[in-house]
Amino acid sequence: MKKVLAILMAACLILLVFAGCGTDDANTDPSNAGTNGDPVKIVLLINGTLGDKSFFDSAKNGMDLIKEKYGDQVETQTVEMSYDATKWTPALIEFSEDADTDIIISGTWQMVDRVIEVAPDYPDKKYIVYDAEVDYTSGDYSNVYSITYKQNEASFLAGAASALVSKTNVFGFVGGMDNVTINDFLVGLIAGAQYIKPEMRFATAYIGNFDDAVKAKEITLSQIKNQNADVVYGCAGQAGLGSIEAAAEQGVYALGGDSDQAMSFKGVDDAKAQCIITSILKRVDQSLLRAVTASMEGTLQWGTTGSFGLADESVGLAENEYYEAILTEEQRAQIDEIEQKIISGEIEVPTALGRDTQEVKAYIDAAS
Amino acid sequence: MPEVLRSIFSVDFVYSALRLTTPVLFAALGSLVADRAGVTNIGLEGIMLFSALTGVLGSAYSGSLFVGMLCGLVTGLFIALIMAYFSLQMKADIILTGVAMNLVATGGTVFILYSICGDKSVSTSLSSLVFPTIEIPLIRDIPVLGDILSGHNLLTYLSLVAVVVVWFFLEKSKPGLRIRSVGENAHAAESVGIHVRRVRYGALLLSGALASFGGMFLSMGMLTYFSKNMTAGRGYIALAAQALGNGSAIGTFFASLVFGCAEALSVSLQGVGLPPQFVQMVPYVATILGLVLYAALRKNTKKRVRKHKRRKRGSP
Repeated sequence: MKKVLAILMAACLILLVFAGCGTDDANTDPSNAGTNGDPVKIVLLINGTLGDKSFFDSAKNGMDLIKEKYGDQVETQTVEMSYDATKWTPALIEFSEDADTDIIISGTWQMVDRVIEVAPDYPDKKYIVYDAEVDYTSGDYSNVYSITYKQNEASFLAGAASALVSKTNVFGFVGGMDNVTINDFLVGLIAGAQYIKPEMRFATAYIGNFDDAVKAKEITLSQIKNQNADVVYGCAGQAGLGSIEAAAEQGVYALGGDSDQAMSFKGVDDAKAQCIITSILKRVDQSLLRAVTASMEGTLQWGTTGSFGLADESVGLAENEYYEAILTEEQRAQIDEIEQKIISGEIEVPTALGRDTQEVKAYIDAAS
Repeated sequence: MPEVLRSIFSVDFVYSALRLTTPVLFAALGSLVADRAGVTNIGLEGIMLFSALTGVLGSAYSGSLFVGMLCGLVTGLFIALIMAYFSLQMKADIILTGVAMNLVATGGTVFILYSICGDKSVSTSLSSLVFPTIEIPLIRDIPVLGDILSGHNLLTYLSLVAVVVVWFFLEKSKPGLRIRSVGENAHAAESVGIHVRRVRYGALLLSGALASFGGMFLSMGMLTYFSKNMTAGRGYIALAAQALGNGSAIGTFFASLVFGCAEALSVSLQGVGLPPQFVQMVPYVATILGLVLYAALRKNTKKRVRKHKRRKRGSP
């Protein structure tokens, strides 16, 4: 009996191993890529899994938009490389080796190092990295295009909206990690809030990861109770929801991030939905569509960085029913006005991207 | 700086320390029971994570908190049973079984969550029920103490009750005696007719049940939803707390309280101007210091025992 069981288990394992190979082969088999008519083959490599309802799903949506726009002219493929970082470089190389692939898209700062490692070896392939920037001075990356987001612009608007509803003039910010992107949100928020009310103060804290929602909630509670914050934002991926929960519990306002979080709570947990002023959106899909469109039209400047912001509709605020309920018409008009001023360049929003860490820290500390 | 001191010596701080102690305490008690039976339950983290998920699913779909609690509890028992089967019956290494369970839980919970809610990170599309908070009638009215002790989550009180129950169970009851004897010397226990494997099965199951409450507290007490990896290492901290507790339920309680305070401290210290990375270290540094202290104390005890033995041998 035991022997049979052991053999069965071994067979299962072997089967699994081969099954793994099987799907890999199917993915890389050049014969299943269309060769007739030569459509442009665009591959999106996701260094994680789909279903996060924000970042990666938005990238996938960008691929769908591209397919919709160009139809048979393009062939799109989305590959989930999983969160196992050891699989990322091999996948990148595999698709670079594939003769049919034309453009490889991948995102986040973790992929940048891998792309600049691989890209110079395949000069006839094009690479697009989003939400991170390649350092073009460090080598010849003329086939790589970087997309960065001006999340500070959307944050500026959100900060202004927060200042309009805040009574205590204290904002509670909980970041996932003390890194450049998170601080770019914060810098934008500070600038926006102080644009409306120069006396706005910011209580700032970091969790240290993007998982511990319990800690996010605890920190936010402490900011509300001890530091009198009455608008809070958990800029920490899924852990950020802990901050929204704390806000709903204490009856203060919160900001959402990544996706339209108020609408995701609608009908399920109205108390939370009603406390979310607005959500800061990063429209990865729009930026990818724009980049690929430019590439198809031959106007994309490979070897440079494109920075997408409010003007390109790549970042923005979620203007839903709760936004309209919390802010008066007058206040909303004020936000729209600020948006126009940012787009026209009249208001220059400070950023944390490409700035000295100490300088950014000093700016954040000055607001605390 | 005085602002920080004020926030530390505040009612809120103690209140939040107690709240942060709860999940660690449940898991640490679970670890204690298993440890006294001579099995190290590394899989606490996984059990907590699975129970956190099934508790939410159970309560959301049944609309009954009790059913949700049962779901979480049964899940904890079930995973402990699997671990017991592999380690006690099939003689797999208990540490490896536990580690495997934790790894299964990280991916498995997300997989289950995705198959059921179509979401890979949080269960906010379900409206989970939450264990109620309880105001204790008389204590509530005592000025400072009332604010600290009253108004906690049901599970927080339950965890404190569990300390007493586990203490009584291990030190005063017959099955507790069996567990201890199996843990002290399995062969000796076997020679007097104690069914070692059965006792260990029982201890692991009890351990799973306790840890499951720790998990449910996270998703149905502290928060109202399941979020992937929400245990964030609390199962491991619990192992350290149990070790630090020196094998007693009361000691485990105080050790857990130390970690709860350390975590609350890391919350209060935010925004003082200290580097955030330093503040985030606090609970873990406390863990390491605790373990070093524990090891040092233990070494001393061993030395004393050895000395004692030598003296005994010396005098006929």
